[in-house]
This record gives sequence, C-alpha cells and structure tokens, in this order.
Amino acid sequence: MRLAFFQRDADVLYRLVPFVSCVAATILSVVPLRVPGLAGAAPACALMAIYHWTIYRPDLLSPSAVFVIGLALDLLDGTSYVGVSPLIFLIARGLVLMARPRLVNQAFPLIWAGFLVLTGIAMALEWLFVGVLVGVALDPRPFLFHALATVAVFPVASYVLAQLQRGFLARV
Amino acid sequence: MRRFSKVGIVRERSDSALRINASSRAVAQRLAVPFLVIVSLLLIVLGKADLLLLERVRIGAADAVAPLLTMLAAPAASVTAGIRHVEGLFDLYDENQRLSEDNARLLQWQTVARRLAIENVQLRDLTRYRPRGASFSIAAQIIANSGGAFARNVLVDAGSQKGVVRGQAGMTGEGLVGRVAEVGERTARILLLSDLNSRVPVVVGAARRRAVLAGDNSLEPLLLFLPGDAGVRIGDRIVTGGAEGVFPPDLPVGVVASINGDTIRVAPYAQLARLDFVRIVDLGMSAFLPEAVLPEPKAAPGAKSGANPFLR
Repeated sequence: MRLAFFQRDADVLYRLVPFVSCVAATILSVVPLRVPGLAGAAPACALMAIYHWTIYRPDLLSPSAVFVIGLALDLLDGTSYVGVSPLIFLIARGLVLMARPRLVNQAFPLIWAGFLVLTGIAMALEWLFVGVLVGVALDPRPFLFHALATVAVFPVASYVLAQLQRGFLARV
Repeated sequence: MRRFSKVGIVRERSDSALRINASSRAVAQRLAVPFLVIVSLLLIVLGKADLLLLERVRIGAADAVAPLLTMLAAPAASVTAGIRHVEGLFDLYDENQRLSEDNARLLQWQTVARRLAIENVQLRDLTRYRPRGASFSIAAQIIANSGGAFARNVLVDAGSQKGVVRGQAGMTGEGLVGRVAEVGERTARILLLSDLNSRVPVVVGAARRRAVLAGDNSLEPLLLFLPGDAGVRIGDRIVTGGAEGVFPPDLPVGVVASINGDTIRVAPYAQLARLDFVRIVDLGMSAFLPEAVLPEPKAAPGAKSGANPFLR
C-alpha cells in the first residue's frame, strides 16, 4: 500500500520530466559556452525539447508549459521583445501536433527532417516578428546561422531526451 | 452496512465531480492556446511600450537564477578554455609570427608614447590643467549571454550591491563592449555594441567628429548621423563621446572597417563574440558634480561608510 503511494508520488514527479528538461534546455542556451565557429549562434535548445516532447508525449507538455518556457527564454535572453518566443513556441507546438501522426514511430532521419522544417519556420517567424517590431528588414544571416546550429545539434539533444524518456517515462 | 453505503455515495460524488472536471478541463485546454497567444501578443505590445515594469521583471528573473548561472559558468568556462587551448595549438606558429610583428610595432609606439607623455606633462604645467575626477571600475564575470539570433547582450555577476549603475560602460582590455542597460541586485545586463537597440555616442578620428554608433545585429555596428562630407576614412579611430550620464568619454571603441556609400561600419576592438570578463567603468563624476546629482552606488559590504570603495 505504502509502496504504491510512493509510486504514485514518483509518477507525478516523472510527469514533470518534459517540462523540467525544457527549462534546463532554456537555461543551457544562455550559458556562455563559446564554441569556435558558433559565435553568436547558440543552438535553440528549448525548441528541440519542445519538438521532442510534443511528438512523443504531448500529454505531458501543455500549452501553458510551452508558454512559460518561451517566457523564461525571453526573460533570460534579455530581449526587448518579450512575448515573441512564447508566441513562436505555441505556433511550433500547434504545427508539430498537426504533423504528429506522420512523425511518431518514424525513423530518426525523418524526425530530423521534420525538425529542419520546424526550425526554418520558427526562425522565419522570429525574423519577421522582430523585423516588424524594430521597423526595419533585418539581416537574415544571423537567423540562418542560428537555425543551422540548431539543426546540427539536434541529434545530440534528441539522444539525450530519448534517454530521459526511456529512463523516467517508460511506465508513466 | 451503513459505512459501505457512505463510501458508495462518496465514490459516486467524486466520479461525477471527476467527469465535470474532465469536461471543463477539455474546454480549458481548447481555450488555453488562443488565450496564451493573446497574452503573448499583449506582452509584445507592453514591451514595445517600453514599460519599466518589464525591465524590472527581466532583471529580477536574472537575479533569481544568478546563483545557478554562476555555478554553470565555471564548468562552461573550463570547457571554453579547453576548446581554445586545442584551437591555439593549431595556430601557434601564426600567432607567434603575428605577436613578433605586433611587438616590433608596439616598441615604436612606446617611444612615441614616452615622448608624448613628457610633452603632455610639460603642457599641463604650462596651462595648469587639472585632470578629470577618478573613475571607478569593477571586474565582473559573464554568467550568461543571449543565445538567440537577435538579442546581443551579456549578463554579469555584479549588480547594484557592487555599485553598478545603469548607463556605465562595459569594457575589456581592448575596448568598449557596450553599456549597462539593466541593473539588478546581483546581476547587471550589458547591451553589446552589436545589439539592435544599442546606440552609443562616439567621436570619430583625429578631427573628433560626433556620431552615433548603432548596432544592427552584426558584429560590425553602423556609424550614423555623420554629415556627408565628413571625410571619414577606413582605419579612423573611434572613441566614446560620453555626451550623457555616467558614460565616460574617450574610451577606445574600434576603427572604421568599411565605407559603402552612406553605410559606414566599425570593427570594435573588443571581440564581442568571445567575452569572458568585463570591466564596468564609470566617469567618476564625483569630482565635478554636486553630490545630489550623482547616481549613488550602494557601498559594498565591509566598505568604509561614506567613501566610494571603487574610487581609485
């Protein structure tokens, strides 16, 4: 009886793994790690985590969780345009949910290709929104580099997230 | 018997409660996305209105996670150092070559500087010139940098507790990196020269023409408001103008890197993409402004009361 009780408590904690991993990814994206060649283009870690969990466990990553992650990212990033990331993440979540039937249980290359498309859309939206807010057409290159870095790092993130999923969420 | 029926009623009630809960949850779920989208849009509008509240929330959030970021900065720094070490091994020869050339050039400059220093002292004697008040500087470690494609700023581990005030300049040994835009208790955010919102008054070349250095998200900011016939040349040196507040004048900023019609770009001396530490410097206006006008930095714990511990 007591064991079952503990089990349930642990399950509740495990169900937080997707959200916590997204928050960790958000913090990781502002840690000053300067890899040569990646200057000024740290990969968008939070987007990877949101993509992964929306495909495999959408029940554990609610829209409000996605909103909070975007908000945390904007606040930590210190941008003058707080609200842009939550908006983009909510749109991204919607898009992934639509494509989900074609992505779930597929081989990794297809998942990666899906992420490439999503990152492209997310960066284009970011470029558009920020450009409108600033009032000038922004140089698209930094956004392109950011997108490339993000897509390039995705396999590593995907592996780590899959391990987390296997370790904590196999029964939940 | 009675007890059983009671349990039955309770269970029934909780079942119906669950059902209501489930249906209301479904409705809430469906409404959540449009609601959150509207909240996001409202936030963007609020931010565009440039409310002080938003700034406070932002730096408050940074302050709250500062201990965690400081903890993460140490391993991140060692990883970065490791990468640079390996990177450095590959171009040892080139680096050595470059340093030898630099050294030869700098020795010549040293001779010039010595001669000028002597001349300067003599001229000061002649004109009874009194140098400006002392400035203070704080060394701070970078604990976070904006990871996105458009925000260019760094978060440092020194805030109002250490005397950092909004508007001060952030520097490396090479030159200016940006200005302090937000100050929390434990952290401060420095808006880099390359940020879209960065505008720094500068002075160009030996003729000391005034201009504004405006970030445009690239590593080489733009020089604005120069009259067409200003005669700016590639290689002209740029220093801070220090027209306002606590921003010190005559800090090295960079050199004119390219001129393309009206588009003049500046290569900053500081490597904005590879910052580890910054020095936050102040004009130290205490020398020529009344006490009441000065932004009062809080005294560091243990410092003597009254005296600014950072005054040198």
